[in-house]
Amino acid sequence: MRMKVFGMRTGKEVLRDPLSYIFCLGFPIVMLLIMTLVNAAIPAEANMTLFSSIKLVPGIAGFGLTFVMLFTCLQISKDRGGSFMIRLYASPMKSADFIGGYTIPMLIIAMAQVTVSVMAGMIVMLIKGESIQFLNSLITIPVLIPSALLFIAFGLLFGSSLNEKAAPGICSIIITASCMLGGIFMDVDALTGGFKTVCRALPFYHGIDAARKAFSGEFSGLWTPLAIVSIYAFVIYLLAVFVFHKKMQSDKK
Amino acid sequence: MEYAIKISGLSKKFGDKEAVKPMELMVEKGYLFSLLGVNGAGKTTTIRMLTGLTAPTAGDAWVCGHHIVKELSQVKKVSNVSTQDTAVAGNLTVFENLVFMAEIYGRSKSEAICDANEMIKDFSMQEVKNSKAKTLSGGWQRRLSIAMALITKPEILFLDEPTLGLDVLARKELWKIIEGLKGKITMVLTTHYMEEAQKLSDKVAVMVDGSVRAIGTVEELKEKTGASSLEDAFITIAEEVR
Repeated sequence: MRMKVFGMRTGKEVLRDPLSYIFCLGFPIVMLLIMTLVNAAIPAEANMTLFSSIKLVPGIAGFGLTFVMLFTCLQISKDRGGSFMIRLYASPMKSADFIGGYTIPMLIIAMAQVTVSVMAGMIVMLIKGESIQFLNSLITIPVLIPSALLFIAFGLLFGSSLNEKAAPGICSIIITASCMLGGIFMDVDALTGGFKTVCRALPFYHGIDAARKAFSGEFSGLWTPLAIVSIYAFVIYLLAVFVFHKKMQSDKK
Repeated sequence: MEYAIKISGLSKKFGDKEAVKPMELMVEKGYLFSLLGVNGAGKTTTIRMLTGLTAPTAGDAWVCGHHIVKELSQVKKVSNVSTQDTAVAGNLTVFENLVFMAEIYGRSKSEAICDANEMIKDFSMQEVKNSKAKTLSGGWQRRLSIAMALITKPEILFLDEPTLGLDVLARKELWKIIEGLKGKITMVLTTHYMEEAQKLSDKVAVMVDGSVRAIGTVEELKEKTGASSLEDAFITIAEEVR
């Protein structure tokens, strides 16, 4: 009950901030449109498929989740910075109420964002006269749940451990890292050597890879990247819960 | 006499620094009890221990008969705190803040709405009912903050410097609200404003360097120190130690 009440409040706080819409919805859609135009400008002989709709749409849908991390992180660090959290610490709320109350609304927002991004991608594909696999598009949405949880976990982790000034800076590093190393705007599979190893060792690439496999209907290759990103999400989330609990105790001192 | 708060040997250390030295204190039920002291005297730390925000280093205390460590969940149900800063959810309206707080303390949605409407009326907040908390003036925010503490129907309300930073009119308005609560619930007030303590308190304790140096009514403290005002009495007590 308290988790639900706190979750409703978190959702309202985030959704009533106009910046959430600009970053969580506006920015991914603008990126989708820009990269579609870039793709149209690439000559066919270049044989570059990275910005083709089939790769771009799930890539952008996954990339948008990094902004959910940013807003999770900002909301938690803002709450911790003021007296509002002290009031709630003095209430009968338990740490599970706080953690669930941050996670659940942000997961709902993340899934709404993914749905809007995928739908926008489908509209762009329709306009371009490309064929759309509706079922594959639909499956892409739940396939991005582990990625959403991973970024929410990062938000929880940084929001719990950093103040309102430091938190956005660290989130920017993760946003850049996921963009560069996730293979959204760079073909990781075409790389060799240590850089490729680093990309494949981190969860971002696998989250995007799973979404791309679902979107293109390559379901046989879906499970490995999905399992990798799920394990990462689970571990980071556990770490975030631990840090949140510890910080809750130390904030009270 | 029934006591709302009993403190026995309660102390708090932060590293080597003893923020609150072993303290003995009783607060009568229904009283407005003021804790006075200069910055760093230990007032806020005492309140934080009594509300479960900080664990004591040693000693015991009971709030409405519940031990602050062993029965913390019970303590949290019967008490509430209004902090030095305004503790409100900025993007929620005044009404939503009140409903939210009532629900956090276990009220059903319909009960919470009913209580919130009552609070809006009691605190004369009709004109700002649907305004986002972050758009309110400091005085309104502080008023909302106290209303959020009271909507949970606490038996004890801790007011930690509730009028800090408010203009004189907003302060007087809050005094009226606090005076209206006297006798209905027990209140523990910390303040730097002697005029405020003199006007509102049934009993006053003066804390200096983490210790309670004097307890009594305003008249008793004035008599004890031979001072003509509470401010002079406070200065005399505080300087005795230094």
